[in-house]
Amino acid sequence: MAVRRKRTRARSKAHSEFVSESEEILEQMREDLSQLADQRASRADPDPELVNRLFRSAHSLKGLSGLFGFDAMSELAHHLEDVLDRLRMGRVTLDSKAVGLLDESVTLFAAMLEKVGDETAQDEAAETITSLIARIDEWTLEPSRDSGQLEELDIDRAMLRALTEYEEHRLRENMRRKLSIYVVEVNFEILSFEEGLAEVSNAIREVGEVLSTLPSPGETPESQIRFSLLTATEQDIEGLAAHLELPPSSVHTVWRPAAGGETRRSEPEAPEVEEKSVPRPAADFSDARGEIESLKSISDTVRVDIRKLDELMNLVGELVIHRAAIASIADRLSADPATIRIGSELDKVHKSLERKIQGLQTSVLEVRMVPLRQVFEKLARVVRRLRRDRDKEIRLEISGAETELDKLIVEGLVDPLMHVVRNAFDHAIEGRAERAAGGKPAEGCIRLEATQRGNDVVIAVSDDGRGIDAKALHERAIEQGIVSSEMELSSREILDLVFAPGLSTRDEVTETSGRGVGMDVVRANIGGMGGFVDVDSEPGRGTTITITLPITLAIIQSLIVSVADQRFAIPLNSVRETLLVDPGEIQRSEGWEMLNLRGEALPLKRLREEFSLGEAPRDSKQYAVVVRVGDARLGLLVERLEGQQDTVIKAIQGPAKNVRGIAGATEFGDQGAVLVLDVSAVVEDAMRGRKAG
Amino acid sequence: MQSVLVVEDSATMRSLIASTLEQMGVPLKITEAPSGFEALRLLPRESYDLIVTDINMPDINGLELVSFVKSNEAYRSIPLIIVSTESSDRDREKGLSLGADAYLVKPFDPDDLLQMARDLLPSPQQGG
Repeated sequence: MAVRRKRTRARSKAHSEFVSESEEILEQMREDLSQLADQRASRADPDPELVNRLFRSAHSLKGLSGLFGFDAMSELAHHLEDVLDRLRMGRVTLDSKAVGLLDESVTLFAAMLEKVGDETAQDEAAETITSLIARIDEWTLEPSRDSGQLEELDIDRAMLRALTEYEEHRLRENMRRKLSIYVVEVNFEILSFEEGLAEVSNAIREVGEVLSTLPSPGETPESQIRFSLLTATEQDIEGLAAHLELPPSSVHTVWRPAAGGETRRSEPEAPEVEEKSVPRPAADFSDARGEIESLKSISDTVRVDIRKLDELMNLVGELVIHRAAIASIADRLSADPATIRIGSELDKVHKSLERKIQGLQTSVLEVRMVPLRQVFEKLARVVRRLRRDRDKEIRLEISGAETELDKLIVEGLVDPLMHVVRNAFDHAIEGRAERAAGGKPAEGCIRLEATQRGNDVVIAVSDDGRGIDAKALHERAIEQGIVSSEMELSSREILDLVFAPGLSTRDEVTETSGRGVGMDVVRANIGGMGGFVDVDSEPGRGTTITITLPITLAIIQSLIVSVADQRFAIPLNSVRETLLVDPGEIQRSEGWEMLNLRGEALPLKRLREEFSLGEAPRDSKQYAVVVRVGDARLGLLVERLEGQQDTVIKAIQGPAKNVRGIAGATEFGDQGAVLVLDVSAVVEDAMRGRKAG
Repeated sequence: MQSVLVVEDSATMRSLIASTLEQMGVPLKITEAPSGFEALRLLPRESYDLIVTDINMPDINGLELVSFVKSNEAYRSIPLIIVSTESSDRDREKGLSLGADAYLVKPFDPDDLLQMARDLLPSPQQGG
């Protein structure tokens, strides 16, 4: 594994946005091209919608690359668009040469996209582009067959004006084929038109072609919308109305072929001769690609093996530990009047060392940072595939893909995030009928949003689905003995039950949601990286899963506390506040110790008992460290607060390895090991204990 | 606060238009619609002061959207800018004859879009 680091981050951010959208477009184009090739192989007429979509894709590529000043790529896309334009306008037939040129252009564009920002590579590729463009230009251009006055049509001028050039071409083409042209008018409620409109459009496509869809104000303009569908078909007006199950009055004739005119399918003008001598485009291009890849990189980027970065991080970690040891020696020296001078000198050196280590640590951490983009793109691909496989209309919206996290965390995030997104896809978002009934757009939406907040990164996955049925969830949890029926739970606490191990509100398990991997595993995985998962849901409106993660795992700020001479490090990102607690303030209720914290009951947990460190004298003063996980708060009772410390977490070996509640260990040079608390697990266990009553 | 609807199927282009408009120097609420259909759904929900739309989109094209806006009593007065890669005079003429107020060819100069938006947005001081 290797990471890549760029100095020109602002520029690369804009570039990577461009790259990711272009990649998506190219993927769609490859799919469409292969369908087009299939149609050609089976001697079918190319589907006009397919060709038009390809044209739109090339058009977008042209616009995007032009926008970012990639002139050569824009020029290439422009010619690609040109080929597709001639095809969709019916000026040329789809022969093997056209297919070859399309394939070649898409492949070359993809190769250049990989090298975006590498100007040398772009310059080198210019030659390949020029030769490809020359071949496209050579490709003979037949004169346009478009003719015929559209002015003679009995049609609303507004509709005619709103036709794009392509739609005009399709209109002429259908007239040339002597099909009848109609306008079909339909009214819908504005909030739910899409389903009905799709139904009518699909029905028209069974017997003809939809040339244009013009919206206009409906009978009651505030709440309704009218669509006029310009339609070409062999059917007569009654036949069409009957097929669409519409009253004949909603279909108007625009144009009919002269009597005796024979309706016919378009035929290629001449039988196509397979050109055997055409070089295989892929082979042709592989040379060019080799050429591009062999270029020497003179960019300001180096590739570094991630293991080397781990080593470097470990060394920095050791330095941090030694620095802490020096600090404590300096403190001890300063505390003794006999050595106070040497102590303060050591302290000065220590301060300077601290700053240098801080700088080193920041630099190393920064090198390890990678943007979330790769993970997000992976999810986008999965959603696209699911959309095809499941025939569910759901789009994934992404923002904040440039947010950076430690590479290890990004890797650990893939599975939990995938699970959350798949859950949303499979279970949260309703089917078409249910969405229509709820007045929702047919297309569901999953939003993936990452933002950086201080030393944390927050990733929210929200959907506009049915939301969590809190009542069913609660009942299910009682049924399975996860909570007792007597326990009063707040709506937050009920929602939080989705993270309870083994709980599911759906009986069936689909392949997508993954057997056995529930939200409890998501929470455990995220907790293992020092993060939290929260859930928020509104019935009928949707669910948001929020994942909060530290930017880096390697070094975290901790609060050091001790109980019975055992020291613990509590990650500072989960600490809300610390309180000095007088034993008299602790109240008991339902077997629980509670503290009245500004009018709210704060459940307490003695760290001594949690880890069986023996009984503490009950009358001594204690500190409560208030920690939170999501909305759950817990006061951890400890005996001493020892201050904040940079903590390097190391995995524990030996018997203590899998102790629940312990995330790892750290050491402070001279003073032995300190256990790092897994706050998420401690709070979860405490809350569960409380719920089970 | 004035409100702008940006209709564009390309996410990159959409955020570019939005971030350009954010440089206006006046507080703007920018709503992004990834398709013509989405724009049709958004229109009744809020009173927009400006619409910026692309032409080539998958469901309904930008010209059809312009036609809808300009044929609807409730939306007719909303100024409308077309931002499109179509540079032919025919498309520009079509757009303008349907009632679009301005036509900008992609890739565009951000200053041009800002100037157009400034010219078309009703001045808040005059209570427009």
